Amino acid sequence: MLREFRLLLRRPALLGLSVLLPVLMIAVLTGIFRAGIPTGMAVAVIDLDRSDLSRSITRMLDAAPELRVTHQALNLSEARALIVSGQVRGAIRLPQHFERDITRGDRPEIVTFYDNQHMSAGSLVARGARNAIDTALAGLRVSIRQGQGAAPVQAQVATQPIPLQAHALFNPAFDYVHFLLAALVPTILQIIAAAGTAYAISLDFGPGRHPQVLVRLAGGLLPAMLGKILPYTAMFLLVLGLSDVALYGWLGVPLRGSLLLMAAGAVLFVLAAQLIGALAFVLTRDMGRAASIIAVITAPAFGFMGLGFPREAMSPLAQVWGAMIPGTWYVQLRIDQSLRATPFEISVWPVLWLALITLALATLAFAQLARLRRTLDQGA
Amino acid sequence: MTAILHAMRAELRAVFTDGQVRLILLASLVIYALVYPLPYRAEVLRDVPVVLVDLDRTTTSAELVRRVDASEPVTVTAEARDMVQAVRMVQDRRAYGVLLIPEGFERELLRGRQSPVALYADASYFLMYQRVMQGAAVPLRQMGAEVEMGRLIASGASLGVARAQVSPATQVEVPLFNPAAGYATYVLPAAFVLILQQTMLMGLALIAVRRRAGEGHPVWRVLGRMACWVALYAVLLPVYLIVLPAIYGLPNLGRVDAVLAIGLPFILATGLLAQCVAALFKTAEVVQVVLLALGLPFFFLSGFAWPIEAIPPTLNALAQLVPSTAAIDGLVRVSQMGARLSDVASTLWQLWALVGALLVACLVIETRRRIAAPPFPNPAAPGDL
Repeated sequence: MLREFRLLLRRPALLGLSVLLPVLMIAVLTGIFRAGIPTGMAVAVIDLDRSDLSRSITRMLDAAPELRVTHQALNLSEARALIVSGQVRGAIRLPQHFERDITRGDRPEIVTFYDNQHMSAGSLVARGARNAIDTALAGLRVSIRQGQGAAPVQAQVATQPIPLQAHALFNPAFDYVHFLLAALVPTILQIIAAAGTAYAISLDFGPGRHPQVLVRLAGGLLPAMLGKILPYTAMFLLVLGLSDVALYGWLGVPLRGSLLLMAAGAVLFVLAAQLIGALAFVLTRDMGRAASIIAVITAPAFGFMGLGFPREAMSPLAQVWGAMIPGTWYVQLRIDQSLRATPFEISVWPVLWLALITLALATLAFAQLARLRRTLDQGA
Repeated sequence: MTAILHAMRAELRAVFTDGQVRLILLASLVIYALVYPLPYRAEVLRDVPVVLVDLDRTTTSAELVRRVDASEPVTVTAEARDMVQAVRMVQDRRAYGVLLIPEGFERELLRGRQSPVALYADASYFLMYQRVMQGAAVPLRQMGAEVEMGRLIASGASLGVARAQVSPATQVEVPLFNPAAGYATYVLPAAFVLILQQTMLMGLALIAVRRRAGEGHPVWRVLGRMACWVALYAVLLPVYLIVLPAIYGLPNLGRVDAVLAIGLPFILATGLLAQCVAALFKTAEVVQVVLLALGLPFFFLSGFAWPIEAIPPTLNALAQLVPSTAAIDGLVRVSQMGARLSDVASTLWQLWALVGALLVACLVIETRRRIAAPPFPNPAAPGDL
């Protein structure tokens, strides 16, 4: 193990990959998401009425935090061109005779067009416009009632017989952003831990190297391999720990669970990710092929974790594939223990799954090593 | 001319004879095409389970529950005695929302007062939260409107007046493009572009790392390689960006020539970037690890999933140096939104400018390499012996 640390200091590439690279990637991702929930999506207004009322609705749209009215379009095709070329994310159309029709009770139609190909931005536009228009219409309804002689409070009550009190469970500040970040960190670390471990092993056990020397030094193949893996476990855990200090301390992501579970999960997760790398390498004995295996498993892993599209809605095949990837369980554990304050007996399951995956990977790697050892002995 | 052809042949040979490169450039593309879309095949989230806590137990509360249950986004799957029990079910991921109808719900309504209902949605999953809110808000609003209309008519208003009073204007939301809000339709067109870039970067950088110094002028050598990439990706790019989306049933409004017009500078810029990456990191192993780690940051930097408005300006400026940023935006607009080339002109210019800048960088690298070490010793690449 000491040898490995010395090797690390001698080889800047190894140190760079296992410490600098993850820290840099985590810093970039933090930079991307630091600003929080996106605001100020550009929209166009197609105001065909040009009345006091339509102008006041335009002002209310512009005042919505999600929106920024940047363009006035003359017709729908002009607005559509603006959306297609990316200058705006959506357009709101106020029809001709809008004000007159409202006072007559003819119920004119307000249409919000939004770019749903860029779904995250598009749904923000739809929500911002919906809320702004709702507020404008509610104001109108209250003033109509007041015009008929109702008191302001009475009018407010009458226009909303069943108000919906919406609450965000577990995440009252609706801090989705930092939570996403807390899940992206393990995804990146999983990739680097697997690939970095495979690389470190390839330096000693790859073709053209003399693994026998290392094996003799460590007194057996298993201690030699453990000596190769464990120093990096410590370093990846350090990186993970530091980024968690930043996340939970500096960015203020809530941490409302058992630190013991979190720590156990972190150790198992890093080990499992490393074992993916180790297994890929001892199976192929070729860094190029090992990297391809690691890439196929860890690169698309983010989608299978279900942060964007939830796991429960995936096909059984996708759920099973996701269940075999350590990051899926570790991220679930992190969400449970940071935001959801999940009780121990529920949250212990992801930790057990992680332990099972780690054990399975370790067994496979060991079996393959034993086979390699036999061939090594025959060769020597 | 012969120098160009020579370099082109050498690059082509490297693609097809080096097992690792073949694995990355060709086999990985097939595997990713199968694995990557797997989570998103269901497209739309329907019938998200919601727990009911009905403390009122009247016909009106039952009617409300029936309407919420009938809405497309959610289903009421279970009933809990109280909030504690309900929240536990959500923690256990058996449900993603709680609908709480307080005691006296019907009584308050009959007395003509406001009678609120509470909805707790699991906000740790953004999409679930959205769907639960939609699923309950629409039927509630409808029921509220009916109650208000009933009261107005009871107080002597005509139907038309009552309706105009309850909702003075109608609100319609029209999603342009991806009208069904399908998740695969949303994420895959961008992901395919990124996969193409990452495999190409890795494969070509591997070739560049292992290449020995060749003869010929650096300009001809680089041009020859560029010709090779164009020839190779003239096949791969249309398969990945036109045929594959069609197999997955994604909508396609784009013209083939527009896709190719953006694809050409994208391929050239990516190939040239691969040469720079190889020169920077020198060994095959390091190149592979670094490029693997960069995939996810590149995706979020591209401003596709995470709106560009929310990315800090410095990071956004850096992101413009990566071909995928412009290529994803341009290709998604052309193929999914039916943009013409004139609509994405700035993207196209950006990609060509990137090609120009990277070409200069590549030529500098090639020239210096020739001066530095003929014949070029391959530094510490244990994997390729």
